Amino acid sequence: MSGLGRIWMVEDDPRDVELTLTALEEYNLANEVVVTRDGEEALDYLYHRGNYATHSNGNPAVLLLDLKLPNVDGLEVLQRIKSDEKLKMIPVVVLTSSHEEKDMVASYKLGVNAYVVKPVDFHEFVNAIKELGVFWAVINEPPPGSVRKK
Amino acid sequence: MHWKPQSPKPLSTIRGYALAVLSVAAAIGLALLMRRLHFEGVEIPFFLFAAALTSWYGGGRAAALAFVLSCLSFDYFFVPPVYSFRMTSTDIPYFAAFASISLLVSWFASVRRRVERELLQSRDELRIEVAERTQQASLLNLTHDSIFVSDMGNVITYWNRGSQELYGWAAEEAIGKRSPELLRTIFPKPVEEIREDLLRSERWDGEVERTRADGTQVVVASRWSLRRGEDGKPAAILETNNDITERKRREEEIRALNEELGKRTTDLEAINKELEAFAYSISHDLRAPLRHMVGFTELLQKSADSILNEKSRRYVGILLESAKKMGNLIDDLLAFSRIGRAETNKKLVSLDEIAREAVSEVRRETVGRDVAWKVGALPAWYGDGSMLRLALVNLLSNAAKFTRTRPKAEIEIGCMEQQPDQIVIFIRDNGVGFNMKYVNKLFGVFQRLHPPEAFEGTGIGLATVQRIVHRHGGRVWAEGLVDQGATFYFSLSKSKGA
Repeated sequence: MSGLGRIWMVEDDPRDVELTLTALEEYNLANEVVVTRDGEEALDYLYHRGNYATHSNGNPAVLLLDLKLPNVDGLEVLQRIKSDEKLKMIPVVVLTSSHEEKDMVASYKLGVNAYVVKPVDFHEFVNAIKELGVFWAVINEPPPGSVRKK
Repeated sequence: MHWKPQSPKPLSTIRGYALAVLSVAAAIGLALLMRRLHFEGVEIPFFLFAAALTSWYGGGRAAALAFVLSCLSFDYFFVPPVYSFRMTSTDIPYFAAFASISLLVSWFASVRRRVERELLQSRDELRIEVAERTQQASLLNLTHDSIFVSDMGNVITYWNRGSQELYGWAAEEAIGKRSPELLRTIFPKPVEEIREDLLRSERWDGEVERTRADGTQVVVASRWSLRRGEDGKPAAILETNNDITERKRREEEIRALNEELGKRTTDLEAINKELEAFAYSISHDLRAPLRHMVGFTELLQKSADSILNEKSRRYVGILLESAKKMGNLIDDLLAFSRIGRAETNKKLVSLDEIAREAVSEVRRETVGRDVAWKVGALPAWYGDGSMLRLALVNLLSNAAKFTRTRPKAEIEIGCMEQQPDQIVIFIRDNGVGFNMKYVNKLFGVFQRLHPPEAFEGTGIGLATVQRIVHRHGGRVWAEGLVDQGATFYFSLSKSKGA
């Protein structure tokens, strides 16, 4: 473990954001979390546009992506990332409420790295977030060019 | 028309000869009588009359005999010297004149006879033809189809009763008129093209629209045949017509119904898509607030635990429990709706294997209990393996749930009836059973026969079973008695959708 990777979250629901952050905080994983609220903002972040024109360089260690987003939806964001030479290496975890098989199939076809259904049960939810955070931000060795806190 | 022949039949040969002899004898008698009465020179007319009579009635040979006999007897009785056959050269002109007149009469007689014979023959032929035609015409009148004949100028020459019935015009009104104008025919393509087809192939058939005598429209299937004259030139067109107005109307109805069906199918597909979207949004949107309820209640529990009294803690507990229950309901409902929407993937599956898998899955729920599982022999059958497995898991888990109060639970699964195209599977338990009065409520969504505090559940399990069985062309039913256990049956059919 060479440090804590930056977790980037694309999630439109502020309560989900709060719950996720709470879960991550519990395990001291919340410091390097970036949150964008919709697909368009996510693309701005990726391409350093708009509000993110001046943000620091470097890709996140993992992207937690919700599928149901306003404007540009999660699958489209995923597709843009996976078809861009510079971005395709970013590990993307779909974190969604959807049990639907077609969403799952579509995500895997686009090259998602993991697909996690948000559990209704809070303990399970916290556990899932914690394990995701620990795995992607700490255990997994991210691709070169990722932002990492030493 | 009946007319009697004006001359008798020719006499037979013997009678002809007899007539010759008798008439000549009569002529001799009459001539001798005349001579006795001193009439001179009247013998020849008598013999001529005898020869003419014989040739008229007795034919050529009898006439020849009469001629020879006349000559001999004339020579014998009247040519001097009488009573001898001797004669002089001055008598020859008499004989020559007699012979030529006799020949002339005979010739006339034979010509007349021949003409008469021919006339009779052609009269008979005509009669036969008239009879045949009359018969054909009456046969054509018997048919229900409309048949009419027109010449190459479309002028109607024959019109049967079927045509009268179909078009309302009587034969005498129709014959002599041009059919396209009389019937106001609307052809499916230009008449010239039809004419070309007809001349080329001698046949044409198609649907034409016509107008009856009373002005109503009629659609007929028309079949045309070309008749050629003896010279090979087109002579007449025979048309057979069937009224297909009713058929056309039905076809139109069927087409309209099909269209309506197609529209409804599209509507149904749209509704189905909507339902799918609805289920999707339930899956996503209903879960999120639920997760927040649970999440923040948990957070509240954690942060406010120290200041909450016992009562408040219980309230928080109920909140969490209810939210979880709702989560389960949503999951079950989604699974139920998915079974209705999912494509069934039917192939030959081993029900034995599926039952064993289901038992081992349900067995995990009964850890620590005394349950006697009995799995009978089950056949291989056509079906969707994962759906059938879900149905069995639901039924077995049901059985496991309602035998919970038994010190020793008995759960049995087996095949009750096996026919080539249908089998019946049963799941029997010795659990709390149910009142048969409410048996029809068992398989409804959210229907429960037991209070939730006694037996938990969402009330969707058996509805799911029913839906799966229906999708396999089968039926599901149950028998039970309060406190005496329950048996659930379902049939699977091979024919329907298998």
